Amino acid sequence: MKHIVAFLVILLFAAPVFALDGTELLNQLDRNLNPESYESYRKLINIEPDGRKKEFTLFTVKKGVDKVASLFIAPASEKGRSTLRLGDNMWLYIPNVGKPIRITSLQSVVGGVFNNADILQLDYAAEYNVEKVEEQGSEYLLHLKAKTKTVAYDRIRLRAERERTLPTKIECLTEAGMLIKTLYFKDVKDFGNGLIRPAVIETDSPLYKNYKSIMILAKIKARNFKDEVFTLTFMPNLESLR
Amino acid sequence: MAFNMDIRPKYHCLPSLPLAVLAVVFLSSVLHAEEYAFDLSEVEKKPYHFGGYAELRPVLYGLDKDAALYQLRFYGREEGHTLPEYNAALQLEGGIEKDITKLFVRTNTAYQNSYLGTTSKTTVYDAFLSVKPAPAITIDAGKKALKWGKGYAWNPVAFVDRPKNPDEPDLNLEGFVVASADYIKSFNGPLKTLSVTPVLIPVSDHMNDEFGAADHLNTAGKVYLLLYDTDIDFLFLTGASKQSRYGMDLSRNITTNIEVHGEYARIDDFMRSYITADGSTHQTVYDASSWLLGLRYLTEKDTTYILEYYRNGTGFTEQEIGDYFTFIHNSYDSYLTTGNDALLRKAATVTEKSYSRSNAGREYLYVRISQKDPFGILYWTPALTAIMNAEDGSYSLSPEISYTGITNLELRLKGTLLAGDWLSEFGEKPYDYRVELRARYYF
Repeated sequence: MKHIVAFLVILLFAAPVFALDGTELLNQLDRNLNPESYESYRKLINIEPDGRKKEFTLFTVKKGVDKVASLFIAPASEKGRSTLRLGDNMWLYIPNVGKPIRITSLQSVVGGVFNNADILQLDYAAEYNVEKVEEQGSEYLLHLKAKTKTVAYDRIRLRAERERTLPTKIECLTEAGMLIKTLYFKDVKDFGNGLIRPAVIETDSPLYKNYKSIMILAKIKARNFKDEVFTLTFMPNLESLR
Repeated sequence: MAFNMDIRPKYHCLPSLPLAVLAVVFLSSVLHAEEYAFDLSEVEKKPYHFGGYAELRPVLYGLDKDAALYQLRFYGREEGHTLPEYNAALQLEGGIEKDITKLFVRTNTAYQNSYLGTTSKTTVYDAFLSVKPAPAITIDAGKKALKWGKGYAWNPVAFVDRPKNPDEPDLNLEGFVVASADYIKSFNGPLKTLSVTPVLIPVSDHMNDEFGAADHLNTAGKVYLLLYDTDIDFLFLTGASKQSRYGMDLSRNITTNIEVHGEYARIDDFMRSYITADGSTHQTVYDASSWLLGLRYLTEKDTTYILEYYRNGTGFTEQEIGDYFTFIHNSYDSYLTTGNDALLRKAATVTEKSYSRSNAGREYLYVRISQKDPFGILYWTPALTAIMNAEDGSYSLSPEISYTGITNLELRLKGTLLAGDWLSEFGEKPYDYRVELRARYYF
């Protein structure tokens, strides 16, 4: 009887401890990728099967767990466009149109394999719960499940190197387990102020055979912003933050 | 990174092999470096910017010689079955920024060669000074397009804007001279954002004369809320240049791929002038309510559907539109019989004053279906747009395909078919079809 009680007590405490570890691991991974509030520059490159490329340069600002905004700096055809994400809400401001319009996470403002949720990425821990953590050699394998139906990918398989707790590969899946895209994290680089993380994210998708998109990050640095920066009314003025 | 270089060392093996390997290594590194290159000098901020686009847009019209608006526009002329038109545009924009102050100017120069001859016109779309003493406060003064409303094709709450063309809703519009301010406040909780935008619109014989009656200072405003993940605007315009009007709009994402929106506007004592079949003009005054409901839906296969229903309280009824076209037909018959075009000139005046606005009827449906990257081919977007007058059943149907695969170049081929009964809105347009190619280069 004592053994059964002891086993049940261990079981009772084991599950929360395990879940906590996974969540802490995911939180750690988020902080290793970015400060909680920061500014950065990114280049997105879409590569077609014949090797032709299309590039976009963005200035991105993020605050807390659910606020992120991006401004297109290049090319000329996109310059001045901005995107804003507040939790599950996303908007696109096009200077020609002159007003923000709501967009959805599965659309892509740049075409290519990256969608809006990839471009306006929040912390993983903000959108996903850790269902299971596996230790596989020098890597962790985290099985993530979306917290709500409004998250772009229902499930994620995230591989991270154990030593530096940095992602190496992320597979994005539908609720039925179908692979939508794979993100590969490459070229670990020192961004200064203790931030060492992959500078390049490559992605491909079985939905876009032989196409590839690449995101290159630069000048990531911690910075605090007023909440008012992350509003529709401010979208035409994002350039003033640079 | 994939590297598809076909190396065939069949005829000159050994001596050239190291060279080939070196070449592969070199080219690989170049390719790698090139693809991953991020020249940080390109993100350096300059205190000024200059840009814009140049556009060529040839159009071919297939004329409908029995249509009322053909008879009104082309009477006394001998045209063939088709009519070419050549358009070009140069849109320039520039800005200078210093500390909290920014000056922005956007001009549009339009060139047109048509059956009427050649015209060229430069319009200042925007020219305003913006002062931003804090992230939460912006004060603007000058010519500016405010672009209020959530609708895609129509915006009944756009009280301080020129009406947009539902055929090309994304085009820039010329603004009005205004003084405006934005005050933004963010919160935690269901209400995340509150912003207030007061606007002053002066009207004189030399400024904003197209806005309304001269020598008045008009006041408008917008209060925006992001409340329970829903964008909500309350808007008004009051002053002596136009009848007072007020309204609201909203927009919300109900899933990751469906957005819904709506607008409601009410104009007090709206006066509508209309003409009857016998040529007599009448006026009616009433409180006009207009509203719009719409949604944007993205399927798993990247097909976007935009649907809108627009109830235009300021529009003409089916009977009134029919009477207007009947008067034109009667005027044309009179002209053919007598050679006197007085009635047609009267019809032209009435058209310019009251009937020339886009979609002047009461009820409309808008449907746009666009397929991004069909068959997995990036940058090609075919689309089909239908605009229907829901009262008389007439419609325009516009298939198009656009290509954006070359940096800074946009190509679009668009056709438009018009169909409708006798005396219906689209049935009486001066052409049956239109084909246009638009090439736009951004710099």
